[in-house]
Amino acid sequence: MKYSLGFDIFLERIGSQILIWKLWNSKIARSLAIVTAIFMIFMVISAPLTLVEQIIFALFSFIAILLVRTLQWGQASIVLMIVISVTVSLRYFYWRLTSSINFDNFLDGFFGWGLVLAEIYSLIVLLLGYVQTAMPLKRPVVLMPQDQSQWPTVDVFIPTYAEDLDVVRLTVLAALSLDWPKDKLCIYVLDDGRRNEFKDFCNQVGAIYLTRTNNAHNKAGNLNAALSQTNGDYVAIFDCDHIPTRSFLQISMGWFIKDPKLAMVQTPHYFFSPDPFEKNLNTYRLVPNEGELFYGLVQEGNDLWNASFFCGSCAVLKRGPLIEVGGIAIETVTEDAHTALKMSKRGYNLAYLATPQAAGLATESLSRHVVQRIRWARGMAQIFRVDNPFLAKGLTIWQRLCYSNAMLHFFYGLPRLVFLTAPLAYLLFGAQVFSASAIFVVAYALPHIAIASVTNSKIQGPYRHSFWNEVYETTLAWYILFPVLLALINPKLGAFNPTSKGGIVEKEYVDWKLSRPYILLLLINLLGFILGIVKLALNEGTVSTLIINLVWVSFNIVIISAAANAAREVKQLRTTPRVKANLAATIVMPDGKTIICETNDFSKDGVELVSNSSLRPALGQKILLSIFRGSKEVAFPGVVARTGETIGVYFNNLTLDQQKELTQITFSRADNWVNLWGKDALDSPLKSLREVMKYGIFNLAPLLKSAASDIYSSLLLRNRRKKFTS
Amino acid sequence: MKIISVVSAKGGVGKTTLSANLCSALKKIGNDVLAVDLDPQNSLRLHFGINPAQDHGVATLQDDPIHWSDILIEGQQGCLVLPFGTTTEYERAVFEQQLHDDPCLLSDHLSSLGLDENTTVVIDTPPGPSIYLKQALSVANVSVIVNLADAASYATIPMIDGLISQFCQNRPDFICSFFVINQLDRSRKLASDIADIMVMQFDKNNISIIHQDQSIPEALAFSKDTINFAPNCRGTHDFIDFSLKISNIINSNSLESNVEKSL
Repeated sequence: MKYSLGFDIFLERIGSQILIWKLWNSKIARSLAIVTAIFMIFMVISAPLTLVEQIIFALFSFIAILLVRTLQWGQASIVLMIVISVTVSLRYFYWRLTSSINFDNFLDGFFGWGLVLAEIYSLIVLLLGYVQTAMPLKRPVVLMPQDQSQWPTVDVFIPTYAEDLDVVRLTVLAALSLDWPKDKLCIYVLDDGRRNEFKDFCNQVGAIYLTRTNNAHNKAGNLNAALSQTNGDYVAIFDCDHIPTRSFLQISMGWFIKDPKLAMVQTPHYFFSPDPFEKNLNTYRLVPNEGELFYGLVQEGNDLWNASFFCGSCAVLKRGPLIEVGGIAIETVTEDAHTALKMSKRGYNLAYLATPQAAGLATESLSRHVVQRIRWARGMAQIFRVDNPFLAKGLTIWQRLCYSNAMLHFFYGLPRLVFLTAPLAYLLFGAQVFSASAIFVVAYALPHIAIASVTNSKIQGPYRHSFWNEVYETTLAWYILFPVLLALINPKLGAFNPTSKGGIVEKEYVDWKLSRPYILLLLINLLGFILGIVKLALNEGTVSTLIINLVWVSFNIVIISAAANAAREVKQLRTTPRVKANLAATIVMPDGKTIICETNDFSKDGVELVSNSSLRPALGQKILLSIFRGSKEVAFPGVVARTGETIGVYFNNLTLDQQKELTQITFSRADNWVNLWGKDALDSPLKSLREVMKYGIFNLAPLLKSAASDIYSSLLLRNRRKKFTS
Repeated sequence: MKIISVVSAKGGVGKTTLSANLCSALKKIGNDVLAVDLDPQNSLRLHFGINPAQDHGVATLQDDPIHWSDILIEGQQGCLVLPFGTTTEYERAVFEQQLHDDPCLLSDHLSSLGLDENTTVVIDTPPGPSIYLKQALSVANVSVIVNLADAASYATIPMIDGLISQFCQNRPDFICSFFVINQLDRSRKLASDIADIMVMQFDKNNISIIHQDQSIPEALAFSKDTINFAPNCRGTHDFIDFSLKISNIINSNSLESNVEKSL
């Protein structure tokens, strides 16, 4: 749908004319224009209107935002949408703070002020988010100079603590395959587990094995210990399950040559297995996952303001600046972000390059995912306390805003819970959280929410779908709430929990311990819903207020139900995630006959093949599988695990050389992940709403049923215990 | 008419099988093909399903004033075939003497066939330096050098290079040499490494790898050609790939020469 009335072209032409005026060279003219604009916006925000006038204003704004959304002005239309959204939202808050908080009694005041504060928090995050993401930098790749003698030396650090060699092996082999002059590249495995099998493996493949005498400060301490034993110009860091592609260094090092003040280049964390949300809600590759917004949009936005984050892995740091800030930060549990902040304070530049050049496994269960997010949230709260970006010296205002938003973002726990329970204040306790009539609230709040949603949907495009954000945040809200509060009160509270990966979920189960708070929340909301309906039927209370609260509580029920469902762990039997790839291959059978085929996908243990040939190897047969990459061909011994329409082959007794070659031909391929990056469907808010509602509503009944049986069995257990003790 | 001479310094590298399969593959991708057997073993015809009792050939015609065109046989894939012929020791000696005396014998006979301009002629030769090899190289537009991925083959490359520079390099109608690694078994480390080294030394358009594949000898045992016998095996894939490269070389070259002519 595109409304081209010629008007947009006309406006564009006028705009371009105005932009080239010489007048804008004068600072005074620019300042005057800004002051005038702010004044005009303030007029719109504060103009008193009657109810009908406000409704007309709301409709007008909504039509305007929908029209601007269709303009093909690139980033300019997004900036224009932001201006409209900010104006409408601030108008709502102006009204909210001046006309809706005359509370009559303590109960109204308690719930009322609670909601106002939660709303102010979300307004701040909304505004900071706009600053952060209005103009993503989209930094291009800078190639290295032809003359390799100018290339710097690089140390690759792969820290590990408790992970299996099976997981780490791939990363080390891939790191050894990095395209970089061999005399300028050293691969270090930093083993805090001090395991002999790791040492032997490193010796065999040509990586350097490093350990230390203690495990002080966990990963940060491990990296620092390695820094003191090495001397490369640059340090590339990979978590032990993040497998780099062979082109990683050539892609990411170019900017260091171009910008001598650059201290860090971060690339995205790409996951080739579904995260717990994707797995449990069955949205893998359909709905962008939780991390995509950050690496797809937020980091690109940060980069414009020179405020990109170091994310602990898949990044290159310059040794000089890193040593200058005392190595990797050890004061907080998010040492990565804190290190970036410290380098930023020293005036170094930070860069983000949105070219996925490494991939890893996502956390495989929600409980582990939650543990990881708790750590991030706690760490960010710690940085907010010990090194607050608003007070720190040496930062630009924009860097302060970006860093602050990154930290404030993790404070969403409490406000989210407030929004999830706010309508209950009226439905259960009869509290009036707005000292205004319902129709006024709708006339002011609805345009604020709707226009902000439309604007964010346009900005976030393929990286986050509307309403899924609510699901993700709701699931985590309860769990990050207390760690964040604790860390704010005392940054020293809390311990480091490394996130382990690569496990299996043997049978479907509901992580009740994890979803209990949400079951409770869901039950209360259902109670509120029923009470509301009863009140409506008995004609008690104000109809309009009841309806608003009922709509709100219904939305909350849907979101909570979807969120609670994320805790229902589905089966995950195949422990090795598969990557789609069509590579030419040949099966050589024991009798010397061959089958031409193509891979469907690969994992670290095997491949799935398709072939036009009518010939099929027998089950369990030992074969030789040749895989081609351009003119290169490597043969691997394998065993047929499945035969039929497709042929499954797992590799068997590979030598170390063969393992290395297999890694090069599969996981290290430079084009593996780039083709999949940002390729999710663009957001369509109504479609997303339908999806979320589908998950929320259809899963409500089974969820309640399992909840009932859970409560029943725990009661039974308690009775038995009582009997036993008496 | 474009002439492709299939040569090797060593015996037992699978030259005849390769020549026959090249013919079938070239035919399959749309070329008219004539297969000429200049190897006294006279085994090329077997690949085309020709009755072994049929003993006429280019080497048996010496006393008859008959033309080569009279003994052209159509093989089962639609290729024309000129067998060497089942010869006595004496007949062969006479034929070889004729080849010695008349360096243009092969060339004259081939042109006397009056073949279409688009016909591709594939000549199979006996291994090592011989009068057959000399004549085949003297008429070749492309010389296909067949090797195994082993040290012995690798060591003979300079010798065959010498012959090619002597008989081919200075002729304006000679296009290029083409290198084939035959019967490659990737499970053998040494063979695989030697193949990789050989591949590195050539332009990728001028080298082909034919993998070891049991379907190739099996097809012969069933008097069939590999391409139709086992269409989805590695061997078929390799032969098609090989013939496409060859076809590319001779066609792009004739395009160039056409452009030159028109200029």
